[in-house]
Amino acid sequence: MKPLTAEERKQAFSTAKKEGVILRQRLPVRYHVEDFAVRERPRRFLEAFAAILKHANYRLALDHYIRVSAKCARCSTSCQIYLATGDSRDIPCYRSELLLSVYRRHFTVSGVLRGRILGDPGLTDEKIQEMAEAFYNCTACRRCSFECPAGIDHGLVTHLGRYILSEIGITPRALAVSVREQLTGTSGNTSAVPVAALLDGLEFLSGEMREEKGVEIPFPIDQEGAEYLFLPAVSDFLMEADTLMGNAAVFRATGDSWTVGTGYFDGINYGLFYSDHVLEHVIAKIAAEARRLKVRKLLIGECGHASRTAKVFYPAFSGDGRESLPVVNILEYTHQAWKRGRLKLRPGAIEEPVTYHDPCNLARTGWIVDQPRELLRAICRNYVEMTPGGRNNICCGGGGGTVSIDEIQPYRMLVGGRAKAEQIRATGAKYCVAPCANCKKQLRELMDHHGIDCQIVGLHDLLYKAIVFD
Amino acid sequence: METWIEFGRGPLFRLAFSLMVLGLLRVFVLTLAGLAESYRRNRDRIVPWGEVARQTAAWLLPAGRFWRRRPVYGALSLVFHVGLLIVPLFFATHVLLWKRSVGFAWPAIPLALANWLTLLVIAAGLGLFGGRVFHAGARKLSRPQDYVWPLLLVIPFGTGYLCVNTALRPATYQAMMFLHVYSADAIMLMIPFTKLAHCVLAPLSQAVTAVAWKFPPGAGDRVAATLGYPGRPSWIEGARLRDADRGGVNDEVCAK
Repeated sequence: MKPLTAEERKQAFSTAKKEGVILRQRLPVRYHVEDFAVRERPRRFLEAFAAILKHANYRLALDHYIRVSAKCARCSTSCQIYLATGDSRDIPCYRSELLLSVYRRHFTVSGVLRGRILGDPGLTDEKIQEMAEAFYNCTACRRCSFECPAGIDHGLVTHLGRYILSEIGITPRALAVSVREQLTGTSGNTSAVPVAALLDGLEFLSGEMREEKGVEIPFPIDQEGAEYLFLPAVSDFLMEADTLMGNAAVFRATGDSWTVGTGYFDGINYGLFYSDHVLEHVIAKIAAEARRLKVRKLLIGECGHASRTAKVFYPAFSGDGRESLPVVNILEYTHQAWKRGRLKLRPGAIEEPVTYHDPCNLARTGWIVDQPRELLRAICRNYVEMTPGGRNNICCGGGGGTVSIDEIQPYRMLVGGRAKAEQIRATGAKYCVAPCANCKKQLRELMDHHGIDCQIVGLHDLLYKAIVFD
Repeated sequence: METWIEFGRGPLFRLAFSLMVLGLLRVFVLTLAGLAESYRRNRDRIVPWGEVARQTAAWLLPAGRFWRRRPVYGALSLVFHVGLLIVPLFFATHVLLWKRSVGFAWPAIPLALANWLTLLVIAAGLGLFGGRVFHAGARKLSRPQDYVWPLLLVIPFGTGYLCVNTALRPATYQAMMFLHVYSADAIMLMIPFTKLAHCVLAPLSQAVTAVAWKFPPGAGDRVAATLGYPGRPSWIEGARLRDADRGGVNDEVCAK
């Protein structure tokens, strides 16, 4: 991958923020932040850190990471951000050390003693500014965690850093506004989609499918006792008609009962990106809707972070522990249905070359890697693999919520997504399947910016073309 | 000099070795205790232990993916660690010393093998030092101890090799043996307090990370309450900004 040229570097790090705002907020970052209290920031950062250490589970990881780190820089060899910028501040271990050094200096006995003896003042406002910049340059894709010989998960440290910053008021405005709408707004979802618009849209899609396929394919609404409660990224209802039609068509073929809940229909959970507090409250909304409709399983649509958040955190935050509802991603569901012969697909339905992009939140743990590939091989004449892929895939460059921050788009196009764009270009594919709402947005912008003729679609978009009804 | 060397091989060695073992045991047990406590705090108690075990094994045995990046550095590290662990424990003279000290012993490796491993450790150690000095990323990250350790670890191997394989004048031999014994003792004393504790802690990393990603329910609310903002989570617009009792609303604070 070619590193940035001087011109590209200037463009990538340009900011639309007004100088006055940066001075007033004392925060030289490129993303917009809503006004917050600036005075005595180091003290409040440490207080937030202390409160989080007291109530959450981070002490274990932090104590461990500060002891085992080898400082070998192996993590830098697989970080697509570092490989693009060549700036040693983008080395994952360096970024994590920003927070770990604060932990060591202020929250460990040896660190406090050493600090007192050496006269180290500890956390400064400049360091907080550096952290605010650094933790949102990282997409938390966790690719580096495979390289670290000490097993440190830098994505976890980035998550914690962002959580502490959010507790002192430093959160990208784009994320904060969406979360506010989701948790306290009238629409109750991150895209402010009113229920009426949702219902209209779904009815329209059923009409389309009736015309195209000659089959009645409804979107069940508020069906009590259904097996699956369907929670895609709410933006799918606005922007991914083909994916939704594919989803509904699959259920029409299998005959399983599913439903959309008008009480809550947004799988998106930005808490994974920046706040455990948000994470829990969004899960609570899912749990409330699941209880209201007495469903038996949660079905998350084509969205990486929504799937991972629900799968990993629903058991704890729904309050039901091991008895909590199983969480299934639609790719898993469809793959299983096809494997068991409940879903018929026309082989060779897609003629153009197709490639597959693994969303980090689905592939990094090996959860969903082979399933979509098997489906694609079944319906595509010309399937092209991207390497590296699978568990070791390259991040789209918009992960960790950065895709929603429009003002850092130059950075995402020139730095974050650079490696991925070159990867897609090299396949020569006409379709790139990316079963994640955020990846789709980022990859589409990348294709535009880099002039690559490749259409980014969801898996169910293509399945819709290939599905055969008895 | 003779007495100093005997002291270094005798009481000081026993002290250093004990402190090393106890120190490592301490951090290992503390980490296990931390794991248990964190596991207890999780409501769901769901941790993929099988996957954790599988990944721990994969991390410890550097096969496959480990060679994709910085393969030379990785190879040097492997060679270094292998020699580092085998020679001190299985070199014939050390085994005899153990037998004299604790009463039992174990099979020793042939001298030729010990010599080769020692030379490899020295070469690899210097190679690792070079790999740190001449790599921009590693330089940015390294603390003083990261530079010191590869060099420090080479000293007992270098002096040991000289004592065994070269004809030295008695005074030089004594000096080398003194360095050998005291550097080894110093290393053992420092192991539990520095990154060398990774020898017992690194295998726990996968378990630690797996448990750390399990967030305890209710923590977010409790954090907000502790910080003095009960019922005013961070996503409520401006709520914490207008917090007058925190010495907030004046020209030092961002005004809308």
